Amino acid sequence: MKILVINCGSSSVKYQLIDTEQELALAKGNVARIGMSASVLTHKPYDRPETKVTAEILDHIVAIEYVVSILMSKNHGVISDRSEIQAVGHRVVHGGEKFTESVLITKELMSELRSLIELAPLHNPHNIRGINACMKTLPGIPQVAVFDTAFHHHIPDYAYIYGIPYLLYKKYGIRRYGFHGTSHRYVSERAAAMVGRPLSGMKLITAHLGNGASVAAIDGGVSIDTSMGFTPLEGLLMGTRSGDMDPAIILHIMAREELSLHEANTLLNKHSGFIGISGVSSDVREIIESANSGNKRAQLAFNVFCYRLKKYIGAYSAAMSGLDTLVFTGGVGENAPDVRAKSCEGLDYLGLEIDTEKNAAVKGEETEISSTDSRVKVLVIPTNEELMIARDTLRIVSEQVSQ
Amino acid sequence: MATPKIIVIGAGVMGQGLAEAIASEGNEVLLIDKTMRLAERGVRGIAEAMDREITKWGLTESDKKAILARIIPSSDLTLADEAEIVIEAIPEDLEKKQSLFAKLDSLCPPDCLLITNTGTISISEIAAATERPEKIIGMHFLNPVTKIPLVEIVKGLKTDEETFEKAVAFAQLLNKEYITVNEYPGYVTTRIIVPLLNEAMHVLMEGVATAEDIDRAMKLGFGFNVGPLTLADMMGLDVVMSWMENLLRELSEHKYNPCPLLRKMVRAGHLGVKTGKGFFEYDEEGNKIKKE
Repeated sequence: MKILVINCGSSSVKYQLIDTEQELALAKGNVARIGMSASVLTHKPYDRPETKVTAEILDHIVAIEYVVSILMSKNHGVISDRSEIQAVGHRVVHGGEKFTESVLITKELMSELRSLIELAPLHNPHNIRGINACMKTLPGIPQVAVFDTAFHHHIPDYAYIYGIPYLLYKKYGIRRYGFHGTSHRYVSERAAAMVGRPLSGMKLITAHLGNGASVAAIDGGVSIDTSMGFTPLEGLLMGTRSGDMDPAIILHIMAREELSLHEANTLLNKHSGFIGISGVSSDVREIIESANSGNKRAQLAFNVFCYRLKKYIGAYSAAMSGLDTLVFTGGVGENAPDVRAKSCEGLDYLGLEIDTEKNAAVKGEETEISSTDSRVKVLVIPTNEELMIARDTLRIVSEQVSQ
Repeated sequence: MATPKIIVIGAGVMGQGLAEAIASEGNEVLLIDKTMRLAERGVRGIAEAMDREITKWGLTESDKKAILARIIPSSDLTLADEAEIVIEAIPEDLEKKQSLFAKLDSLCPPDCLLITNTGTISISEIAAATERPEKIIGMHFLNPVTKIPLVEIVKGLKTDEETFEKAVAFAQLLNKEYITVNEYPGYVTTRIIVPLLNEAMHVLMEGVATAEDIDRAMKLGFGFNVGPLTLADMMGLDVVMSWMENLLRELSEHKYNPCPLLRKMVRAGHLGVKTGKGFFEYDEEGNKIKKE
């Protein structure tokens, strides 16, 4: 089956057309600067060079129309007719408590999705816009929503409830939801395949380290805790986000600096993390470069990041009463050996030891980097959320849509 | 590049705020003033306002770059011939506004939303200068536009429902809450705040308390974010006085008579934050200089 996987942002659409039989992305690309007079469509067929198109793309409907057109184009296309697209899979950030797995999109579902906007005001509206656009452009084609939060829905109440009045949980749904679920799920399945054991008997920690970063404790294939919480702000230090902190700090700063809600929000989400501590960059590669050339604050940011990650590894080992596999994924997890080395330093008491040479030699492929003596396997696995979305879409469409 | 469908006319403080608010929500906007120099100065003003916001962590450099890229300065009013929304923020002067709307009437497409951003002038009177009074509506934004979440949508006597609905959609596009106001001098916000500011000036003039203490009393006593004298300085004392004079003219009530202290300060050119001196003193960045 050929499945179009869509990830809509406020002014962007990322897409992949995936052939599920070969599990191959026939083409991938994105539309950037939607709503501007000079939007850019970047498109890369798997067997031909990348191409760019500049056009006036005023909304997501036009953007999806452009995507479908270029997929069918003579020179850059990979299909000859839009009917070859048999299903569409959408990344939807927030599924709330209602959506615990991927679902076929129906009219009723759309109204429930809209009711979740309050929980993810920055993401869900754009995801919904993308779904509506596909309904217009590809009428009658089944569509599936795959939620970032769904994989974490088994987290027990004692791990998802915050220590604030319970009323606020009932009233506003304030609890831990967790994010990056599709990625944590994908790499956990790949990890089981790599070590050749059933996932159901494994105690895994998966670290998705990208611009946003989260850790998950996966016991027997089930996420039982994760570092992101009610929003993607909690947990690890990130490119521009603070991660864990004393909540009183923000109240204190708001009073002292006379900040508005908006300013406080931007402070925590855009001016904090690596950029906030280092003043150098939000990009871990640049942080490491700068740290290596002696910049003290870059070193500090790097140390804060790795220390927190190590704490989460310890905490989640305790939560699962053990650990047998640790997975690194995401741009930083896959490409920064320094981060992997530093955050695993001194974890030999857990039976975890990294092989320095293997760690340094990882090149964009699934690789085991633990030493031969290490009881805990440490793996680097490139994530592939789009493939996971395509797999879910294939399964749901095959089960639920009568051909 | 195609001409943006949203146009702001007048690149002063209000026009700058409107253009920034529109662009911040991801829309391209044309900022028109009489000369290209004035329009470009408006864009520089927006950039400076955003720089201040960055130091308060409210924005990032990349946000600023993206927002500025959506604001196009111009001095060519005829570009309004394909506009969908035109909002005017020129000085609070009936004749100037009427002459502008007469021009817009001849230029803009028939379904264009024509908005005047006035605090005190009659929408119906402005609309009378056009052949389409039912398509003219008032939207009274408050300064600083990007921060104040409120807009008063003001219906003129002839404003039709479709125009009102479009104005509501525009308010939502900018993420503003709105209240509906039937045209009457001063609407809600200006009508209530202006006598309060005037009374604070009387209290100061009569030597009842110092400016600092008057502001402190209203902040701590009644939960005002900003004290009345500071607020007047921020609005511009000349602007406050012109509102009062408009209200006085329209309603002929003594309570709208500008306080003699206000008149004196405006005559002396002490207009508040924008001139560095009003009831308090300000540095070039517009921050209050604290007295030791």
